[in-house]
Amino acid sequence: MTRSVSAKALGRSTGTERTLTVLIGLLALLGGAAALVVGAGWLGTYRADRPLVDPIALDWLSRHALAGRVGAIVLGVLLLWLGLWWFFRSLRPEGRPDLELDDDLVVTSSAISEAVRLDAETVDGVGRARVRAVGDKENPALRITLWLVEGTDLKRVWEQLDHTVLARARESLGVDVLPTAVRIELDTTAPQRVR
Amino acid sequence: MRLFVRLLSALIGLALAAAGVLLALEVGWGWWRPGRGPLFVPWDGWRDRLAELSWSDPAVRYLAIAVAVVGLLLILAAASAGRRAIRLTDPANEVSVTTSPRSLARLVGVTVRAQDNVAGAKVTATAKKIRVRATSRLETEGELRPRLLETVSGLLDDVPLVRRPKVSVVVDSPKDRR
Repeated sequence: MTRSVSAKALGRSTGTERTLTVLIGLLALLGGAAALVVGAGWLGTYRADRPLVDPIALDWLSRHALAGRVGAIVLGVLLLWLGLWWFFRSLRPEGRPDLELDDDLVVTSSAISEAVRLDAETVDGVGRARVRAVGDKENPALRITLWLVEGTDLKRVWEQLDHTVLARARESLGVDVLPTAVRIELDTTAPQRVR
Repeated sequence: MRLFVRLLSALIGLALAAAGVLLALEVGWGWWRPGRGPLFVPWDGWRDRLAELSWSDPAVRYLAIAVAVVGLLLILAAASAGRRAIRLTDPANEVSVTTSPRSLARLVGVTVRAQDNVAGAKVTATAKKIRVRATSRLETEGELRPRLLETVSGLLDDVPLVRRPKVSVVVDSPKDRR
């Protein structure tokens, strides 16, 4: 299932990290279970009493010393590459792409964020807004977080959000479609009393 | 949980990289200078110790159980790090909207507590289900429950949710205990 750009912009994907963590977890679970099975003697009573570093295995390894050494070094380098790629992928910050409208016209992410934020905060019922650009250069999107005050009519907010705030952003940028993800926090503060 | 899995994932990556470096260096060193002993890791001592242990040794079994449990925890942590946000209807093309379960629960809680004869309420919400647990001193469950169900359902009509969660209401009232 392919998700639209705006749906992807709702939150950071942790798909790769989760998949890799599940794989390592599975490896540990299966390895531990296999060791238990061997130790319980289900693969033969004598096998359970053999040492962990088996003389038969050591003997085989010393007969294939060259292949073993080359294999171990290649494995080590592969693990290093995989581990570093994984580490930096997990920790890389989420991008804030600028919007390239034309060859020589670039709107910086902070400029568009600030403009949309000021617009969004004028909508009735929006107490606070936070806007940032997300995604990559090819598929930039906006992520808007709105904190609504208690008792706000959501349908009005919907209408105003699209017809005023986003329409203005699209118009000023000269694009037909501006992928936008909106996160709404309902009922964050009590409405201000009139004194 | 999502942040936790991200950090966990980074740590596992770092551990794999470190293991890879040590493996390649130790094997390379042993190949280049045989008989000079290990470089960083005292692997020859470990090898001798492991040669004494058998698969059925209790220490090996406990370690195997610990490794399997850690693996299970990793799987559970990764599985519970999915998106919990509740989707709302899209106001326009290429505009997606979500709200947090906590904020939906807060909205329902405020409305339920504002009802007559409700002393307090606890609300939990997911995309599939909203659970309300209300306490009342003046009304029994039979009286209050239908009213609260109707209120919450009326409230959900005003929230443009993509899928309507099921609502369950439990009323805790001292009047029922007589």
